[in-house]
Order: sequence, then structure tokens, then C-alpha cells
Amino acid sequence: MPYQRALTIDAPVRAGARAELESLLATMGDGVANGSVLDFGGLSGLHFARVAVVPEDNGLPAHLIILTDVDVSAAKHLGELAEQEGLDRLFSHCAGFSGDRLDYLRRHTVKEQARYVNTTGRTSSQIKQEAKLRDAIEEFLDAGDWSGRDPGQVRRAVRQHVQGDPELAWALEEAERPGGLARLREKLHLIAIPLLLLPLLPLLLLALPVFAIVLRSHERRDGTPPHVKQEQDRILELAALEDHLVQNPFMAVGHVKPGKFRLLTLSAVLIGLNFTTRHIFNRGNLSGVKTIHFARWVFLDGKQRMFFASNYDGSMESYMDDFIDKVAWGLNLVFSNGVGYPKTRWLVFGGAKNELAFKDFLRVQQVPTHVWYSAYGDLTALNIAQNERIRAGLHGDPDEREWVQSL
Amino acid sequence: MKLELGDVQGLFARGYGDLKSAAFLLLKVEEAAAARHWLGEARVTNADDRRPEHAVNVAFTSSGLERLGLPAAALAQFSNEFVAGMTTPHRTRILGDLEENAPESWDWGGPTSPVDAVLLLYARDEASLAPLEQVPAGFSLVRRLGTADLDGFEPFGFRDGISQPYVDGLGKTGPREQTVKPGEFLLGYENEYGHTTDAPLLHNGSYLVFRQLRQDVSGFWRFADEATRRSDGSSDPDARLRLASKMVGRWPSGAPLALAPDADDPSLAFANDFAYHADDPRGARCPVGAHIRRSNPRDSLDPNPGSAGSFEINRRHRILRRGREYGPPLPLEQALEHDDGGERGLHFICLNANIARQFEFVHHTWLNNRKFGQLYDDADPFFAPGCFTIPTDGVRDRVVDVPRFVSVQGGAYFFLPGLAALRSLASV
Repeated sequence: MPYQRALTIDAPVRAGARAELESLLATMGDGVANGSVLDFGGLSGLHFARVAVVPEDNGLPAHLIILTDVDVSAAKHLGELAEQEGLDRLFSHCAGFSGDRLDYLRRHTVKEQARYVNTTGRTSSQIKQEAKLRDAIEEFLDAGDWSGRDPGQVRRAVRQHVQGDPELAWALEEAERPGGLARLREKLHLIAIPLLLLPLLPLLLLALPVFAIVLRSHERRDGTPPHVKQEQDRILELAALEDHLVQNPFMAVGHVKPGKFRLLTLSAVLIGLNFTTRHIFNRGNLSGVKTIHFARWVFLDGKQRMFFASNYDGSMESYMDDFIDKVAWGLNLVFSNGVGYPKTRWLVFGGAKNELAFKDFLRVQQVPTHVWYSAYGDLTALNIAQNERIRAGLHGDPDEREWVQSL
Repeated sequence: MKLELGDVQGLFARGYGDLKSAAFLLLKVEEAAAARHWLGEARVTNADDRRPEHAVNVAFTSSGLERLGLPAAALAQFSNEFVAGMTTPHRTRILGDLEENAPESWDWGGPTSPVDAVLLLYARDEASLAPLEQVPAGFSLVRRLGTADLDGFEPFGFRDGISQPYVDGLGKTGPREQTVKPGEFLLGYENEYGHTTDAPLLHNGSYLVFRQLRQDVSGFWRFADEATRRSDGSSDPDARLRLASKMVGRWPSGAPLALAPDADDPSLAFANDFAYHADDPRGARCPVGAHIRRSNPRDSLDPNPGSAGSFEINRRHRILRRGREYGPPLPLEQALEHDDGGERGLHFICLNANIARQFEFVHHTWLNNRKFGQLYDDADPFFAPGCFTIPTDGVRDRVVDVPRFVSVQGGAYFFLPGLAALRSLASV
């Protein structure tokens, strides 16, 4: 079983075809579930999927963006996706599509600069299975009288119940983990990259003051961008797509500030970010934020633009508040290299802390996700983690009182 | 910055508890010129007037401001939530105003009965209230909302209005955890993020959220009674009271379960300086899904529950409650016996400076959120039907199929302008 992987399709929209494509997307489903054009539910190992359009801007073309998060190999996933005839209707609005879906998908697959996975190595089927397990245990508990029974007795009864149900018996075994080879590769990556960078350390330290001076001069020159509020109608349009499920999709696109300095800074930050999310923030907690399932950062238009896309729990308002309260510095690191972002100091201070300017900025940069699919739209990331603990507590030697109290 | 209380409407500083009689007149602007003229002359009670004999406050919806003649460009200074109003499709979703709660069936504020303004009137008694109840020239009456004085209790029989944030600079001081910057409630002042939203029209104003919530008192107590019957089918008054209090998070006296987990303790009736994380992280005393724990989680918030940082996040989601009850009280014995079908409940009124981050956030992310605090499928027992989980030391109790006890009868987002802003509205 592999680690989760992300697929990003970035296809150029033919000049003048964007409006038609958008209205097709808007009618492809109810915005939250399986579309009528694409059958996401039929794809193996899928967690989330979406189709969105990044509009043309300042001479840059419009893009059709397809994003998926899956457990299966890239080849298998692309193959299954290519079988979706509905893609023809999408790609007919794109440049250079000749009818060979697989070939077109391959040619327009791009690599994301950074991505975040809530918990690495947890498959979509494990998530769905463990949710069923928890439901079954809760029903079993509802049906019983547990007064006077100690935690050990309760746990044994639950175990017996699970064991006796052939639909659930899998739960008594430990969850499948990524193979030894894959884990070894991750460990090597974790060690090798810092080791390789070590000799460069003196150089980096020497460069740091120079970097700081140049950075400050850029920040001063950028000044405070005008505080632009999104149009009321556009906000209503964006909000109409939100809060149908427990989770929501977010996507925003923006221009990288002109000049080499910002592009270099952003590229370096994204490399660092990707390393940290891969090795450190990979167990359900992105620096205090525990509500994000998947996220990715991708360059567009030869690095002139970048988009950010995520799947998160709760409302947009609570998501933005989480950003401000918990990871403002992290957002500043990345997005202050984008045009229009609230003024930052030293790359990490200010910025998102300017609450209303930041929230309005996000609404201005946001792109509607007309077609969105979640394989488990009624589960929060915290629910998923809790279900995993419940299953884990069925075997081994857990603190039985704590385990029973977690039900 | 010193609060300019003389320019702020009185409701910001006090709920006029001494003025036991109150009525809210929901109005429509009929003739803009006459309405503006009235505004110029209206004697609106300011927050500096500490012990008025009576009080008059006035607030407008965005349609009201528009009908008074405020140009679109000026209206755009107000927040998106206020301008779009309470009944957009997205908002009805996040506020839970669906099905029988849908704005289409509201008595006021919905598409069939829009409202432009509310006149909030307070007096010592009904006799001195009556002369205040005049529909100003230029307006027509959409609906008059009467109130009832239940002596500090809400219709279900629990003491209400205990937990209010202390506003920094407003006189009464309290613990740091519950002391909030004035900019959270009043525009033109620094808020909890250290920022100020200001403009002449907004200055010293506040957004006023109004929801008329009908309470099914009989339904509530009969449900609690049924759910706690003994095995022989007889009522168990202690268990009934306990379940009801678990849902609220306080006992009827007001004593919080966090401090009085086992039985009501009237000596703790007004206790409010407490937290959850240290003694009750899982909710074995006060369930995580209890109404008061959802509406004000205190120090239970991620990423560091129990810390000053957790309180700091909590402080960005506070509201000043200024509601009043309505309808005749229904004593417990009668409530259990039969449903008199009476109209009673709460005119929920709150003030905040950012409707999205305060009122709506509390409603959607905390109260209506089935996933609040790591729950799976619970809802606030007073806001949405569903399941209610009661953690214990062993296997949790779970009450399933809790019906709807509170229904929305009307509502709107208003703006409560400062006095100078009111005068400038008179001359737009």
C-alpha cells in the first residue's frame, strides 16, 4: 500500500471557452457530490477530488484544474480517470485535446510545489471502514446496560461483539501501514536532505543578513496594498457552494510578486514547507490546525501565478480564523510573496494578523470549486483520528478506562 | 481610547434590567423624508445616561438604511453580512434556519415580512411604557413584540444571562479571561486583534442581531421526563432535572455543572469565573455538547486547551447579550401535564462588531456544529434536533432523537448607530 498521492491536472482553456466551461462545471452536480459528468465514486482509493477553473488574468490564460488525492499508484489512477468519458466534455474546452484522454491527462499532469496530508499512510478505505466500526460499537453500547461494569468488562464485550460480526472482524487486526521499503525511503529523505544541506550551512548563515536587508527593502517598497473588498454578489456565489457537508473545499489563486527575489524566496519557502509537512506535520496537526485533510500549493503560468487548494472541516470563517490565530506566520511566509497580500514585516509578522484585510484578500483571490467530491463528507479529521484510536484500542494493551471513555 | 458613551446608544452599556417593561416595534420605512425628519429629532437614550426613567434605542437593517436614502457607496462601508442580511441561502444553512425554521415561514424578517428598523423601548412598568409606543412619522408598524419579566429566568426555568463579557473601559471590571476589548462590540475602537474598523457612519455603532426564538417548554420537560422514566414507568424528578441541567450546563438556579456536578447549589447561582479544561476536559461534569459549554467554551479550545491562549481565541467570539423573554411563564408541573400551546420564548438580541466572526461563528462553529469538541453527531439540544452525549466515568450515556424545542419565528441583522451617525442619517 503506497502513501497517499496527489494528482494535479493543469490544462489550458481555449481562448473564449472559459465561460462555457464554467457553466458546464456549475451544472455538473450539486457542487458537493458526485457530478453527473464524472463518476468520482468509481475511482479506487479516492479521498477528495475537484474540478475548478482558474480564470485568465492580465494576459495569462485560463486553466482547467483537476485535483485528486488517492491511495493507488499514479498509473492505476490515471488509467481509471482516463476511462471517464465525461472528461471529453471538459477537455473539449481545452487547447490541444485530440480525444486521447490518457495521453492528455499525462501531458497535463504537473507536480505540486508542496502538499499537506493530514495523516500519512491512512487510506480512504481504512477511514470508511473505521467509521463503520465506530458506528457499530456505538449502536452496541446503546443497546446494552453497562451499569456496574468495569472498563475491562466493557472492552471485552465490545471485542466479542466485533469478533462475532464477519463484517467487522478485520478491525481486530492492526491497520495496514505503508510497506517497509516506502517507510525506509521516507526516513532516508528525512535524513539525507538536511545532511546534504549541512555543508551549505555556513554559506546560508552568511547570506542571511543580506537576505534580511533585501527582504526588508522589498517589504517597505511593497507598502500596504489597497484593502480591496470582494463584491457582495461574488461572496454570495462563493458561499452558496459552502457548508453542505462537514468539510469544505478551498481554492485561491494569485500572482507572484514580480522580480527574481520574491520568486526565489517563495520557491525556497515551498521547498521547506514541503519538507516539514512531509516529515513533521504529518500526524493530524498542521502547527495547531487540526481541521485540514489535504492541501497543496502549485505554480501556474511558468511560476507567474500560484494556487493553493485544500479540503478542510467547518466553515470558511472558522478556517480563516484558524489561519489567523494559529498559523499566521506560515501563511505570511508563503502568501506575502503574492500580489495584494496584507503588508508583512520580516516575512512572518503582520500579514494575516490584519484580520479583515486578510479575510477580504482571501475572498478576492478565491476560486469557486464547482465540482467537488469527498469520499467521507460526514467525518472531520478529528473524527477520523478518533476512529483510528478506537480500532487500535481493540487490540494490544490500551488504558481500558481511557478507551471506554473515548467511545 | 476612552469610550464616547454620550454618542453610543444605551443598549451597548446596559440591558436596562431596572426597566422591567419593554417592547420592540418592528418598523418599515414608508416615507423617507418624514422618517429622516423623525431621526433628527428622536430622543435616543445614550450610554452615559446611567439610570434613565425610560429608554429608547433604534436600529436599522440594510434595507432600512437604503430606504432612508443612504447611497449604495455608503452602504458598502458596512459589513457584507449586514448588507446581505440574515436570510441568504448560505446563511440559512449555517444558522440552521431550514425546514420548519426557514425564513419563508417566519412571522417577521423573512421574505414575506421584511423589516427596516426596530425601536427598542424600555420603561419601569407597562403604564409608563404605553406612551412610548408610538410609531414614528414616516414609518409603519410591521409587528409589535411584547416582552415578559421572568425575573432573570428563561422560559424553560433556568437562570439566564449570567455570562457576559466585561467590556474593557466600561466600568465593571472582571477577570482577564472574560475582559474583552471594546472594539469587539463597538465600531471605532480597537478589537481583540488590535485593529479598528471605523468610518463616520459606523463610529460608535454596533451590529445588533435579533432572533425571536419560540420555546416549547412543555415539549422540553415532557421529553426530559420520558427519557428518564424508571423501569416501572414512573417519573424520576431527580433524573429529569439532571438531564435537563446536563443539556443546559447549569442547574436551574444558575449554578454551573462545572462547579456543582452532582446537585444544584444556589450559592453558586451566579458563578461565572470558571474554566473547563483542568477539571473536566472530557465533559463528565458539564457535557461538551451542553448549551453553555458550546456557546462559550472558555478554555477548551485548540490548540492548547487550558491555556491563556485558549481563552484568547475564545475572546474573539464573544457577544453582548441584550435579550428579553416573552410570553406567560409555564410552571414545571403544568408543563408536564399538558401543552398549553402558548407563545413564549426569548427575543434574542446581541451586539457585536463582526457578525461573521462573533454571532455567526458561535452559531455555526459551536452551537449548530455536530462535530463540536470532537463530537460526532450531536447538536446543541436547544438549537437542533439530534443526539446528546453525556460523558461519564465509564460508558457514556446517549440520548437519541432529541426533538426540536426552540424554533425561529423571525430575525434580522440590524445596525445600532452612534448618535452623531443617527443625526447624519437624518440628513442624507
